[in-house]
Order: sequence, then structure tokens, then C-alpha cells
Amino acid sequence: MTSTPQVRKPRSGRPAAKGRVAQELAMIAPALILMSLFLILPFLLSFWTSMTNQPLVPRPTPVRFLGFGNYIRILSDDLFWTAMWNVTRFSFWILPVQCGLAFLTALLLHQKLPLQNLLRGLFFLPAITSMVVVCVIWGTLFQYPTGPFNQVLGWVSGGRLGPIDWLGDPEWAMFSLVMLSAWQAYGFQMVIYLAGLQGIPEELYDASRIDGASRWRRFWHVTMPGLRPTHVFVLLITTIQAFKLYTQVAILTQGGPSNSTETVVHYMVRSGFEEQKLGLASAVSVILFLIVLVIALTQRQLLRRFDV
Amino acid sequence: MSDMALSTPRPAPKRRSHGSKRTLRIVQVVCVLIIALVMISPLFMLLVASLKDDRFQILADMGSFKAFWVSDPTLNNFVEVGGMSGDLAFGRYLMNSLIILFVTVSSGLVINSMAGFVLAWGRVPGKVVILALVIALYVIPQESIIMPLLIMVSRAGMTDTFTAQILPWVASPLYIFLFYQFFAQLPKELYEAAEMDGASPFRIYRSIFMPLSLPAMATTSILMGIESWNQYLWPVLVTQTAYARPIAVAIGTFFGQDSIFWDRAMAASVLMMLPILAFYIVFQRWFVSSFIGTAVKG
Repeated sequence: MTSTPQVRKPRSGRPAAKGRVAQELAMIAPALILMSLFLILPFLLSFWTSMTNQPLVPRPTPVRFLGFGNYIRILSDDLFWTAMWNVTRFSFWILPVQCGLAFLTALLLHQKLPLQNLLRGLFFLPAITSMVVVCVIWGTLFQYPTGPFNQVLGWVSGGRLGPIDWLGDPEWAMFSLVMLSAWQAYGFQMVIYLAGLQGIPEELYDASRIDGASRWRRFWHVTMPGLRPTHVFVLLITTIQAFKLYTQVAILTQGGPSNSTETVVHYMVRSGFEEQKLGLASAVSVILFLIVLVIALTQRQLLRRFDV
Repeated sequence: MSDMALSTPRPAPKRRSHGSKRTLRIVQVVCVLIIALVMISPLFMLLVASLKDDRFQILADMGSFKAFWVSDPTLNNFVEVGGMSGDLAFGRYLMNSLIILFVTVSSGLVINSMAGFVLAWGRVPGKVVILALVIALYVIPQESIIMPLLIMVSRAGMTDTFTAQILPWVASPLYIFLFYQFFAQLPKELYEAAEMDGASPFRIYRSIFMPLSLPAMATTSILMGIESWNQYLWPVLVTQTAYARPIAVAIGTFFGQDSIFWDRAMAASVLMMLPILAFYIVFQRWFVSSFIGTAVKG
């Protein structure tokens, strides 16, 4: 910066300041207008439509106000509760698998290794792969009865464990989706963990080394406490992701077999797009928002407790 | 390397322990490399399979090491799915996705960074309220506004357009906040000095702050790019014909059919993978480090 020490007086104070504010408003206006139109407006609309019988395609009969009718209908629908149970199940399974994988790879990569950038890049590759492509790849891996997973399973168990219909068996379908989802998304959590690890001051490690703490003790008494906020953050964004589960289901299982992979978003799209009942679908989207809000508020509370 | 340079002046016994440390390190690198290869092996398998001509052979080869080897590679699958028209016009869908990606990311960078800049340094009245609103809006998931958005778009007659796939996702609370954070941490003197020289806010943004924000721009480009490239639910809802259909939807529909042409699905998937891979390789240099800087707070 070549900042000149001579202070040039701003020409008359007031009008210049006004011009500046006007220009600033012009700079922030595009973002504000777009967000009002495409985020705030639909968000507010969703509360209104959720109380009506709004169809997707306009009909001659006027839209009727239903009050909480849609909500009552959803909350008394067994399929909705199956969907809720499924995403809960999904999040309980994916948390240890995905976050564990992310944490482990982050620990491995957080040392001064040669080829560090290349390695990080390789571990991150699945995360940039589109879910659609992931479904094509894992769809072949899951092939029944002669796909790679079944071949390896038979080979490892000496033929005792029979071929599993990964995506066609209600007992296995959700678990299969957990595996492919964890593989696709762990890269992001890994990067967040790497950030958390870098945030732990080196002096803490030095001090504990001088105190003669073993590697193991250093891990439990320096690394783990230092990562507490990161753990909270990672666990909660993974839970939110789990509740929004959709693409994998839409492409690979369509909610089946026998509704074992039905999810909240899939339920929403089915009622809004396929059955054209947008009012009903909007009620589901409001419920989804409330769930995400509760998770986000929990995160804020937990983070505050660790006073970060 | 730098470790070795540091340890040279040390006395002999230390150096021996350094030697064993080096073997440990080599073992570590080999282990990490093996895990990395296992993790990316499905991607490698995809690439190999896309080069095989016979779709029955592709399935037969899976589950043995042949899945990772192709004896006579051919680009036939790509020729078959790369067309710009017809049933398998994945070339066209790829173009559609690229147009959507390019317009979304480039306009998103300008609009979100300008907003972030004003929130960090501007004197707009009610700035704090706007900032709080941006943070609050971040909680709303895309999935829960998509149904009313669908009514709006279909009433406006915008289904099956590029606009419907681009415009709603350009301005985003996450990226505005990311830029706000980045700009807010730059020294105050930078802004004040320029202001005293009589530069207008836009001038200060354009010629000082924007050039400095390359790391934030890179992070935003990658995150926005991945997001736009992988959009699935929204384009499924708003595209009915091939006109503006992105490649993700095209592969999803093709894959959902009963008899699966694995060879073509694989080739189309590789087509979809290539641009985002190139994009990632270009920006990767800045990405991991700057993402690390912003991830936890974001």
C-alpha cells in the first residue's frame, strides 16, 4: 500500500457520505433482492401453502384453507413415521462410520508427510464426485449376486456367507446406503478435522512432551479436548445431512424395498411432485426446517458450553 | 526434507534415532498411500470400465483384478454417449451443466463478495441487522424451500429454463458470510487510507479488497462449483425436456431404467467427473489451506 501521509480533506462531508452509502446500497442490493425473492419469500410461502390444499398445476376450484389439516394428515401417516425412523437409523449408523473415517484420515494426514498435498487431494477426491456418479459406481459394486462386494464376501468367508442383495433386501438396503454415503462425504469432514487439528497450539504438545507424557496420553489430554468444538460441529452437520437424505434413495432404491429406505425428503417430493399435493409437501418442508433448526440450536448451545 | 537439514548439526547418537524415525515415517507414508489407493479405487474402476466395449464383460470383470485393467482400451462408449442430440445426448447435457456452473459461480462470486464487503466495511444503516439476517437465513435448508419455489417458478412459466436453475442459487448466506469474514479481518488502515485518497466504496472493493480476496474466491468457487455441479433434486423438478437438463439428471434417469447399459452409464459418469476434476485441480492449491481457515467458523 502506498498510503500518503498527507490527509486530503474529503470535499464537503455530508453529501459525499450520502453518495457513498448509496453506492454501498447498490453493491449489496443484488444479493438482498435475490435472497428475498428466492429464499425469504419461498420460506414464508411454505408456511402459508402448508395450510392449504394448493395443487402444483392451477385448478379452476379455488385453493382452500385447511388450517393444520395437512400437518395432522402427515403426523398420522405411518409412512411419514417410517421415513423419520429411517433417517434416524441412517444418522446413527453414518455418524460413527463417516466421522470415524474422517477423523482417522485427518490424524494420518496431520503429520509432516512427504507428498502431503497429493495425499490430501487423493483423500478428498470422493467428496468432489457427484452423488449420481457415486450411485453408478456403487450400483455395480452392490450387484446381486455376482457383484464385487459379494465376490469378496464369499472369498473372505470361504463361501459361508452367501451373496447379499445389498440394495434389494430390506434388512441391508439402508446399511448399503450408509456405506456409499460415508465414502462420498467423509472428505469434507476430514478437511474440517484437519482445520481443528491445526488450531491446537503447538506449545501444548511441547509442554506435555516436556512433562514426559506418552503419545497416547498426549492424544487423550491434548488432542481430544482441543478438538471438542470440531467434534460437535462435525457430528451436527453430519446429522443434518442425514435428515436431508435424498439423491441416493431416488436413484438407487426409490424408498424401497418395502419402504425400508423411505426418507423425509423423498416423502416430500413424492407427495408434492408425483401426487401434485404441494400443500402437503410444504407441510413436510416446514417440519424438515424445524428439525434442522433444533439441531442447529443444539449445536450453538453445545459450542457455547465449551465457550468457543 | 527440512527435517534433515535441521538435524545435520546434531551429534551422532541423535542422528541414529533420527534414522529410525525415518523408517517409521516411510512406513507411515506407505500405509497412508495404501489407504488412499483403497479409497479411490472405485473411481479408478469407473475409469477403467468406461474404456471397455462389452457391457457384459464389464460386469464379469468386476470382483477380480480385471476390474482395474483394460487390455484393449476403446473410446467407443464415449463416442456413443457424447452426442449433442438423440437419445444419449450426454454431450449436450454436459454443456448444459457447464453453462449453469459457469454462470452461477461467476455471478455468485461478484454478488456475494460485494455484499460481504459492504457488510464488513460499509456504512449502510441497519448493517448489523442485515448481517444477523444473513446468519439466520443460513439455517434454512434448500430442501425446505424447494416446494414453494417450484410453485413460483411454474407460475412464472420458468420451468425448463436455465434461469430457473441458476438464479435461485446465486446469492447465498454461506458465501456472503464467508466473504464478510474474510474482508473483516483485513487491516482497517487499508480501507481508511483508500477512503482518504477519495476512492469510492466500489473503487476500494474493485481495486484493493477484491484482488486480496483470491483465497476466499478460490474456496467459494470450489464449494459453489461442487454444489452447482451436483444439484439433483431441483433440476429434476424443473426440467422436463432435454433443453436445459443437466448431466446429473440425465445420468440419474438413464440409470433408473430397467436394463442398465453399464458401459454407457460409466462413460457418461466419467464425462461428468472430468470437468469438476479439472476445476478442482486448478483450485486445489488454494483450496485445502483456505478451506481449513474458514471451515470451522463457517
